[in-house]
Amino acid sequence: MSSINQIPVIEAKKGNPLARVFDELVRFCRSRSLFILHYCTGCGAIELPPAMTSRFDMERLGIQPMVSPRQADILLITGYVSIKTLKRVILTYEQMGSPKYVIGICSCTVNGGMYWQSYATAKKLDEYMPVDLYIAGCMPRPEAVIAGLQQLMDSIHAGKANSWEDYYRNYDYYLGNQQKLFGDNWQTPTDVIAEAKHYNLLSKGTLGVHTRLLEQHQQPLEALEMRLGHNLKEPTE
Amino acid sequence: MSQEIAHWLDNLLEEIEGIEIRRKSSRRVRVDVPADALPALLELLQGRAGYIHLSAISCVDWIEDEEFELVYHVWSYESHSLVSAHIRIAREPGVYLSVYDLYQPAAFFERDIHEMYGIHFEGSPNMDKFILTEWDGPPPMRKEFDSEAYINEHLSWQAYNPPWLQALIAEGGGVVIPPEEQRFSRKKD
Repeated sequence: MSSINQIPVIEAKKGNPLARVFDELVRFCRSRSLFILHYCTGCGAIELPPAMTSRFDMERLGIQPMVSPRQADILLITGYVSIKTLKRVILTYEQMGSPKYVIGICSCTVNGGMYWQSYATAKKLDEYMPVDLYIAGCMPRPEAVIAGLQQLMDSIHAGKANSWEDYYRNYDYYLGNQQKLFGDNWQTPTDVIAEAKHYNLLSKGTLGVHTRLLEQHQQPLEALEMRLGHNLKEPTE
Repeated sequence: MSQEIAHWLDNLLEEIEGIEIRRKSSRRVRVDVPADALPALLELLQGRAGYIHLSAISCVDWIEDEEFELVYHVWSYESHSLVSAHIRIAREPGVYLSVYDLYQPAAFFERDIHEMYGIHFEGSPNMDKFILTEWDGPPPMRKEFDSEAYINEHLSWQAYNPPWLQALIAEGGGVVIPPEEQRFSRKKD
């Protein structure tokens, strides 16, 4: 024992030994408190009122409707998304706080459904945003919707529902598909790349050709003009 | 009562030249008129027969005849009957007169037809984009617009046998009828 280096030291394990327990607890709580954004696109929305209300009662699983995207966890796409609607859906999706989950209900979100030949509807929802779960059917019954939501709860509990991270990791791919459909000037108010840095999810697929194109066309956002109700009416001549 | 009105209406309509009247039922009359006689017909129907409600203007694209057919459906609250006035206009240049001065709701229908078929209505108050505000392709309801070719160019399809479907097939589910047999345009003889 002539040197200090010879003194045996028991090295502490790196990280918090309670982290796994804590993560498990977080995942459990997360899966038991889900808020569905009250935004419905197509005809499948008609299956949600019975699923939410007393007939099938989604609330017994801890799933409730929520009115604003900032407070919601699940984005339900209940049917066909026309290209015009898809823009709004993407804006809404980007505004939701992570972790967020997307469920595509009905055949239309899978492959266009009965509108497969329509010029106005998008065919593959998962090209434009990562989808956690599809519930196929035209349209699926409330039991199927609830079964799908239970499956989502299980995968959140198991820590497998991580597709929201994919939007940040492969933002260039999703942005490229969006630009292909909406044109090169497509821009959303959300700074997804900054969010990717914030979540520490910046990776190889985040930046690329399409994000460079976005930077070229990007215009700084301006605050919306605030007007009181009585000023909304245009002066008539 | 309705018989009397029907008889009286037939007499009234015969005042217009080149008119062809087909009575479908006691409450429904189909009238075919030359395109230039339509404003006069509608004026007669509205002013003297009480057909004050323009229910709809519909449009049919007869691409082989190189014509558009416009159908004006007018309804009378007094005799509870519908008159459908059919006219044909040339597909090129596809211009017709607006009936906005007779029926104000026509502005709505004409704007819609302008957007979907590209027919220009002279004198209509607004010919701007209506529902397809973010669409810059050709008018999509024209017969020469190939919707399937358009989507094949702009959109992509889900793979027919994706890995997640194979998991479902293993459980006894899956696609029963393949798309080739469902979609007539893709059917192989």
